[in-house]
Amino acid sequence: MALGAWGLGLGGQPADVQVAAAVSLTEALQEIAAAAEKQQRIRVTLNLAASNVLARQIVSGSGADVFISADAAQMDVVAKEGLIRQRVDLLVNQLVVAVRSDSKVALASETDLTKPGVRRIAIGDPAGVPAGVYAKQFLEKAGLWRRLESKIVPTASVRAALAALESGDVDAAMVYRTDLGIARSVRAAFPPLPEPRVLYPAALLSATPHAARFFEYLRSPAAAAIFRRHGFGSVACNEDRVPEAVKAA
Amino acid sequence: MTPELLQVAAFTVATALAATALAVPPAIAIAWVLARGRFPGRALLETVVSLPLVVPPVATGLLLLYVFGRRGPLGASLASAGLDVVFTWRGVVLAMAVMGLPLVVRTARTAFEQVDARYEQVAATLGARPLRVFFSISLPLAARGVVAGAVLGFARALGEFGATIMIAGNIPGRTRTLATAIYSYTETGRDSQAAAVAAVSIGLAFAAVAISNRLAGAAR
Amino acid sequence: MLMLDVRLVQGAFILNVETGIDARAVALVGPSGAGKTTLLEAIAGLRRPQRGTIAVGDHVLFSSARGVDLAPYLRRVGYVPQDVALFPHMKVRANLLYGAARNRDGRGSGAKRPGLDRILAMLEIESLIERGVTDLSGGERQRVALARALLSAPDLLLLDEPLAAVDVPLRRRIIPYLRRVRDELGVPLVHVSHDLAEVEMLADWVVELDGGRVVRSEKRERPLPSY
Repeated sequence: MALGAWGLGLGGQPADVQVAAAVSLTEALQEIAAAAEKQQRIRVTLNLAASNVLARQIVSGSGADVFISADAAQMDVVAKEGLIRQRVDLLVNQLVVAVRSDSKVALASETDLTKPGVRRIAIGDPAGVPAGVYAKQFLEKAGLWRRLESKIVPTASVRAALAALESGDVDAAMVYRTDLGIARSVRAAFPPLPEPRVLYPAALLSATPHAARFFEYLRSPAAAAIFRRHGFGSVACNEDRVPEAVKAA
Repeated sequence: MTPELLQVAAFTVATALAATALAVPPAIAIAWVLARGRFPGRALLETVVSLPLVVPPVATGLLLLYVFGRRGPLGASLASAGLDVVFTWRGVVLAMAVMGLPLVVRTARTAFEQVDARYEQVAATLGARPLRVFFSISLPLAARGVVAGAVLGFARALGEFGATIMIAGNIPGRTRTLATAIYSYTETGRDSQAAAVAAVSIGLAFAAVAISNRLAGAAR
Repeated sequence: MLMLDVRLVQGAFILNVETGIDARAVALVGPSGAGKTTLLEAIAGLRRPQRGTIAVGDHVLFSSARGVDLAPYLRRVGYVPQDVALFPHMKVRANLLYGAARNRDGRGSGAKRPGLDRILAMLEIESLIERGVTDLSGGERQRVALARALLSAPDLLLLDEPLAAVDVPLRRRIIPYLRRVRDELGVPLVHVSHDLAEVEMLADWVVELDGGRVVRSEKRERPLPSY
């Protein structure tokens, strides 16, 4: 039924757009999806998880229309299968070392993570979860990985690392700066890390017109404003094409 | 077998054994009480003990996380004694023990129920106090069933996933078990490694269940 | 010496027994379902009467009025159930010695503290001692169970149809052993029986139950009805 409706771009049923996106985008995308649903005759379904999990699902045929990954590596997994029709770099973000607000361990820099007061550090699983991959890259470059490895608690996603910190079961977590906005009783130990550059590529996977329109909408000034409000840096806002997309809707 | 797989397999077997050792004594006590006792709250105890069989393991794990987390009612005092549970091997053992307990209780309970109460009564008339009756009559006569239950609990512990990943995480070399390793390898696209781990865990579970069935069969 | 005042309700069945007995060997007779086994179990402490008193001499085992209800392991009442219930996971020796711990604690009177050798000799089971219990004959099982109960130095011995499971010739052979228990060891015994000859050879007191009530309790003189 829905298939017939979207083919004509009209009819009773709004067309469904399946969006698979990095879990760090949860709040921003919920807002954007709501805004897009008001403008376009679509219903956006968000599948939010660690990007490596989503990449596996897409490769196995989960049928997402749009994929937003938290790193290039997981987007490449999907690209290698020839599933991508259009790819852009959408957003940037930064890693931050977070502690509980009531933490008594003073951390002035990443080197202080070696202090004995920091017994466990949660990061996304560096074997695949982008936040963990970035965190490991950073710690390796800082020459700290070997010394900290025994303290590392890998988690299934960046939000799981944040949750472990909130519950007090770890002493620090390396998460995205944007994650702190939704965290309870958690703060940045020191300013966000300048490196590595956290880049979110977005890809259009399906050929349906409403998926393409939503993909355009992601790059509209309206979406960029929402992303920015949630702390993301917008890199792919296409000022020329967006008005067309909006008109088309 | 790669050294990594060998380590994960050895760790899983060791923690499952520890979990079995942890679960069996209370399981025997509960099984005995359920088989022979008539007291208020018996039905409640029976239900509570069976819960881990039917509740999603992740929910059981969540409950354990609340109780044994560093800020939890039990976890806080354990942590101050230097015994962290969350994200440690102790968490793995705890999750496995809780998930294996109902199976041990059920099998042991059936075994106790099959012991003719006559033997216990006669032992009492011969002057044996209840504890002596239990250890010299009831337990030896139910032994095969109890051991079969323990092996079954061990097999369940080997495959535990949901509660383990909640409370102990999935830390390579420290809390990663066969089950969580399969998950990790799959999520990171290492399919052949996942398949190798799966094969090992299937083999172990098969052996454990076969032993359990053999013992239970011989007890009947 | 044996004081029974027992009211025990068990579903639709009501056991209502009140009698005093002064004898060395009591035969408990009556039709099936009369409450004979239930009464033995109440004396042994395996069933709890709703009210009443059970006393062996001045040793009160149960008294609802005084709030006494001794646990079976404190009653010093030997009990051999109909199926004798030898512990199947133990050899004959371990079965025999199971209750001997109480025998050794010195609380039994001298006369009631027979040694293992004497019991083995009296019941002629010396040769069985290293056997497993599962390959004993019916008569051997009876004698081993009897010896096991005696070795726990009981003040009173309860036998539930001790000879029901053995055939008639063997029965005639076992009765003398029971008489020895009665006469040589001086352990008073209560035995449930359906067999007239057995009662005549063993009992000096007869209690007859019917429908949970005592219809007769007296020294054995009159001829007995047959069941």
